[in-house]
Amino acid sequence: MKNDFLKNWDTQLKKGMLSFFVLQALEHKECYGYELIQNLKTSMEIEVTESTIYPLLIRLMKEELLVHQWVEQTSGIPRKYYFITEEGKSNLVEMKKNISVILSKIK
Amino acid sequence: MKLIEFKNTDTQRIYNDYINRSKRAIKILAPEDQEDCLMEINSYIYEYIQNNPQEQELTAMLNILERLGDPEITLKEVVATKKIDQAVRTFNIKHLMQALLLNLRNGVVYIILFLMVLFGVCFPVLIVLKLIYPEKTGLYIGEHTFFFGIATSKEGVSEVLGNWFIPVVILLSVLFYFIIIFLLKLVKTKKP
Repeated sequence: MKNDFLKNWDTQLKKGMLSFFVLQALEHKECYGYELIQNLKTSMEIEVTESTIYPLLIRLMKEELLVHQWVEQTSGIPRKYYFITEEGKSNLVEMKKNISVILSKIK
Repeated sequence: MKLIEFKNTDTQRIYNDYINRSKRAIKILAPEDQEDCLMEINSYIYEYIQNNPQEQELTAMLNILERLGDPEITLKEVVATKKIDQAVRTFNIKHLMQALLLNLRNGVVYIILFLMVLFGVCFPVLIVLKLIYPEKTGLYIGEHTFFFGIATSKEGVSEVLGNWFIPVVILLSVLFYFIIIFLLKLVKTKKP
């Protein structure tokens, strides 16, 4: 069972890595906001709320790592799909390299 | 934007209230950016409720609004980011001032840019002063003096621009403004 220190550390670690996880999730498949939250939860066990993901997605678009497209739905409530850009992909490669370096030092 | 309709009147009231709060939080943005923000908020609410049928409508609404947080806080960064885009896109001094004010906390560079804008605003004031006090406004150069603005004449110091003062100030204003926009474009893509 995790103590408070470990819980906080774990939360901070995942929070710091969130941009990476979002780019990684979108590398495989474009997603709309709610779908992305569910993907992070099921495939990466990361619990993230809409209040965190929405500003983050806007920040990643500002950095030109993502782009978006509104897709009309039969419900009349369109979905905003996020796509990773070429710059996003190259940043993701660099991020993976950096993580590998850190992991190799831990081993 | 199509609003969501709920069976429960309390759910509808809570939803309407949240949308209205969101509208107030983003009213500073361009109409198309406001629409984009509201559509996204609306989509998060709709998708959560559709994907959690086990929850009662009212409970689901309270849960998603809790997850979205206060719109005034959640949308703060979104508004600041979109406002910079609008300022760069429109070249409008009002949007530029608002964008810089909203981003003052995001780094020293925005404080410097804001001070530059304030400095830039002084140029039109100098034009007015030149029209009112033509003898006292200008570029004064002396042996140990270099002064641009309003001053009383001293021995050894002379005003060098004369009638060229106003065209030079207009040119400087335009130049200054483009430098600010250029710097803002530069930091927009570099700063997190």
